[in-house]
Amino acid sequence: MVMGAAGSKLEKALGEQFPEGERYFGLENFGNTCYCNSVLQALYFCVPFREKLLEYYSNNKTPLDAEDNLLTCLADLFTQISSQKKKTGIIAPKRFVQKVKKQNELFRSYMHQDAHEFLNFLLNELVDILEKESSNSVKNSLAASSASQSVKIVNGPQLPLANSGKNEPLVTWVHKNFQGTLTNETRCLRCETVTARDETFLDLSLDIEQNSSITSCLKNFSSTETLNAEDKFFCDKCCSLQEAQKRMKIKKPPHILVIHLKRFKYMEQLSRHKKLSYRVVFPLDLKLTDTVVDPDTEYSLFAVVVHVGSGPNHGHYVSLVKSHNHWLFFDDENVEIIDESIVQTFFGSAQEYSSNTDHGYILFYESLVRDGQ
Amino acid sequence: MHRVGSAGNTCSSSRPRKEKRFTYVLNDADDKKHCAGINCLSVIKSPTRDCDYLFTGSRDGTLKRWSVVNNEAQFSATFESHVDWVNDVVPAGNSIVSCSSDTTLKIWNFLSGGACTRTLRQHSDYVTCLASSEKNPNFVASGGLGGEVFVWDIEAALLPLSRSPDEMGDESTNGIVSTAHTVSSLRSVNSNSNNSSQTTQPHGYTPVPAKGHKESVYALAMNETGTLLVSGGTEKVIRVWDPRTGSKNTKLRGHTDNIRALLVDSTGRFCLSGSSDSMIRLWDLGQQRCVHSYAVHTDSVWTLASTPTFSHVYSAGKDLSLYLTDLTTREALLLCTEKHPILQLALQDDSVWVATTDSSVHKWSADRNNPQKFFENGSPFLAGNMFTRAKSYIEESTPVPVCKQPLLNIPGIPGIVQHDILNNRRHVLTKDAAGSVKLWEIIRGVVLEDFGKVSFDQKREELFERVSVPTWFTADTRLGCLSIHLDTPQCFSAEMYSADLNISSTSEDSKINLAQETLRSLMAHWLIKKRPKPRSHISPNNEARSQIHSRLEVDDASENQNMTVLAPFQFSTISPPSIITEGSQGGPWRKKINELDGTEDDRDIPWWVLDCLLNERMLPKENTKCSFYLHSCDSSVQIHTQGKLSAPRILRIHKVSTYVLDKILLDRPLDLQGESGQNGGHLRLPSFDSSLSSGVKPWKKKPIVEILCNNQVLPLDMSLATVKAYIWKKSEDLILNYRMVQA
Repeated sequence: MVMGAAGSKLEKALGEQFPEGERYFGLENFGNTCYCNSVLQALYFCVPFREKLLEYYSNNKTPLDAEDNLLTCLADLFTQISSQKKKTGIIAPKRFVQKVKKQNELFRSYMHQDAHEFLNFLLNELVDILEKESSNSVKNSLAASSASQSVKIVNGPQLPLANSGKNEPLVTWVHKNFQGTLTNETRCLRCETVTARDETFLDLSLDIEQNSSITSCLKNFSSTETLNAEDKFFCDKCCSLQEAQKRMKIKKPPHILVIHLKRFKYMEQLSRHKKLSYRVVFPLDLKLTDTVVDPDTEYSLFAVVVHVGSGPNHGHYVSLVKSHNHWLFFDDENVEIIDESIVQTFFGSAQEYSSNTDHGYILFYESLVRDGQ
Repeated sequence: MHRVGSAGNTCSSSRPRKEKRFTYVLNDADDKKHCAGINCLSVIKSPTRDCDYLFTGSRDGTLKRWSVVNNEAQFSATFESHVDWVNDVVPAGNSIVSCSSDTTLKIWNFLSGGACTRTLRQHSDYVTCLASSEKNPNFVASGGLGGEVFVWDIEAALLPLSRSPDEMGDESTNGIVSTAHTVSSLRSVNSNSNNSSQTTQPHGYTPVPAKGHKESVYALAMNETGTLLVSGGTEKVIRVWDPRTGSKNTKLRGHTDNIRALLVDSTGRFCLSGSSDSMIRLWDLGQQRCVHSYAVHTDSVWTLASTPTFSHVYSAGKDLSLYLTDLTTREALLLCTEKHPILQLALQDDSVWVATTDSSVHKWSADRNNPQKFFENGSPFLAGNMFTRAKSYIEESTPVPVCKQPLLNIPGIPGIVQHDILNNRRHVLTKDAAGSVKLWEIIRGVVLEDFGKVSFDQKREELFERVSVPTWFTADTRLGCLSIHLDTPQCFSAEMYSADLNISSTSEDSKINLAQETLRSLMAHWLIKKRPKPRSHISPNNEARSQIHSRLEVDDASENQNMTVLAPFQFSTISPPSIITEGSQGGPWRKKINELDGTEDDRDIPWWVLDCLLNERMLPKENTKCSFYLHSCDSSVQIHTQGKLSAPRILRIHKVSTYVLDKILLDRPLDLQGESGQNGGHLRLPSFDSSLSSGVKPWKKKPIVEILCNNQVLPLDMSLATVKAYIWKKSEDLILNYRMVQA
């Protein structure tokens, strides 16, 4: 562990205002691992998620028998940060990065990686591990309780019985934080029957346009699409292909809304990806309207993963994090305090060729209403 | 059974290009009933005035004519040629014009026995609606998906423009050089009217396009004189056109959803529209504004009919209700309710015909000219406008319909709404709109069993059979009946032993190709009546086709042999199936198999069907073979293990067992002696011949050699394909083991 000079500088800058119990640590870069560092910082300052991880760590302290996995490595790393004596400094997330590279060959090379892909991989991996653990514990508890002929699962919400015919998907704390539900409504234009299909999401990937905003991108996301011509809809009621109108609606908004801006677009004519530097305004406070179940849900921005660079295959990732009403700038080892007004310099550029190549890429919003869970 | 190189079967060559499909549509009952929802209606006054005609166009792809005398409707003809839903029908002079999801318009002589006079192919997507003008009966407009609208002069479209290629062919054989016909593809009305259902475009006549729609058109209307055309659709605007030129006049906004029904008054001044936003609007086309909006319905308005003076409108739609609204006083009245969403209305004197998604048609009491009297008997309410909802909502009481019972019911057959192809690939389980579950035998098109109203899923589970037969056909039910689609080459992949179909045969190994026999049966009428004609006009570059035709002549002598339809493939003569065929000429058409009279052009039938029927040539059927390894259970005799074997997929295990006996064990008598020495002589008997003479199926006999797969002893009547699918469960080559049965 190396102590940087930046730590003390940050401490000086915050002075008296340094939040009680909070730690601001830079993360060492092991050769193009900024995609990982930027996402880790955003997740660390996703407080409900961090709390769950620290809780997980303390509940599973030094499991000698169990092999380490991404979840234990991440819990270990977060605990390491939060339990530092110093308030600032640098930590090398070596074990975690090694585990990532071991688990997924995509991240094994020293190439530039996509931060969104990494986030998605990480969250899904955590879900898998939690599900596996839960099914094991259900099995164990079943075995334990089989003598008394009663199945009771203490500790754990709505755990599905492992042997009950239908396996309802398990709701882990990763789901509780990040999972929302979309509903896909299709209306046949002939018989006008509406078929709705729900699907869950951990993040929303939005198509972007020049000089737009998150609100307009969300509007486009749930705009009506007509299935017609060669792409008609097979209507069960009509038993035939018919024109149909399809739209996606957010049915249940997640507690933590992760928005991924599709800045890397595949260009047919270039047969490669191109970075879109479009200016897409992301507000500090976001209101989700027109959802199916809940009334308007209000969100507050707490982290932004920023892609720096003009192309998709190279560049750098940094993150902006809001912690205790201060905005902080994390760039691998370096941590700086920034003014809130600086956030808007990461919206993107209205001109195609601009010297500003730092663009908001993944946005983390937290719901202002702490739901009952 | 023969050996193949251990290098494995060579893959078939690259996938052939997409070929035309051959379909047959099964019927369960007589021709006098529709078997799917009725999309459209048209009442035509007979010129002799002794009866009126009602035309119904159905989702089953046919139109039917009913003669209506007093209070009775008699079936009088079926118009069959469309291959998809009939969406609309209008009268045009002595013809009726229909449009379909098959992208065509068809013209029919309305007094004929059902022959299609002309097929108009101009649309590239479903044709959803038609409009005609009363005083200019040759003027018909057609609208469809993709925003296509065309205005047709039916008389001009019917004009013969060139001689048919048949005639040209005759000419050239007579030594007349037919170079004058530069456009040989121009085909028109054939001399033979029965053949004309296949007449195709492109022909010389081109309709006037009304260009400018950005989205699909679902409704059209024209005024009496044909000087004004209105269109509506998913754009939610009403567009006004001059149909004579196809030029745009105006655009009217107001509806907030798809426009599904339009009417124009005789003067062309007022227009009524019905929309999926559940509103009816009255527009003043002169002032280009909406003068009234009527909130009467609780759901989408799909059809409108008005009195000639535009004083009242009848409306109906998704909410199953038929309302009558006084356009001036805004008083509305619920006339009747149907059990299914209402698709179209047609007024006839003192009644209204109502078509729904059900296959029956009802006639209700109404009045075409003076409906005011209904208000005196009923309990009218005031139609709401854009802002206030209909009175019936405010009071939250459902209005009581004036009429409880229809005056007349033309019954239909409940359409098939669900189907599942069973594992034997001959039986299809279906469920109809009334909930009846039936089991069909598709190789002869009959219902084997009617289970009544039982659970479809449960019945499907009950009928599950552990057999594996390759998928040789696909099925759909969009026409309310089972359509069986055959595509080459996969349709030729299923075989059965003749014996299993109770077909007597000289050899126990005699196999039947299911698709070939089905095609032969379907085309029997055509094959019998087909008279080979000298056909010198066939393009020389199409060698394969010329070969077919030359074979046709050569095969003439042996025709009778070809003609026999095997009993298990004998389709019903009472409710014969129809074929849907599409050849190299024009688009697809449909005809009952017993109405095929041999005059149908070869070029209207896919070449691969002809090749199968006339030359018994079928495309490579790589699927009919199954390769496997045969190993002894006794690991010590592995030296004698055979290489890879190949056999028909349908080969039964008892044959493998016989093979083991004859080829492996008996070739090595030394090995055998230890185990079954005293039986040796008996084993040498060819097992099959003896079983044939004794009438016992070979697999009923006690086996001497057991065949195993995955340590499971296989039943002797199981086929290799079934073993592979249900016991081996892997995509790699099957491995079978054999062992002697312990005495």
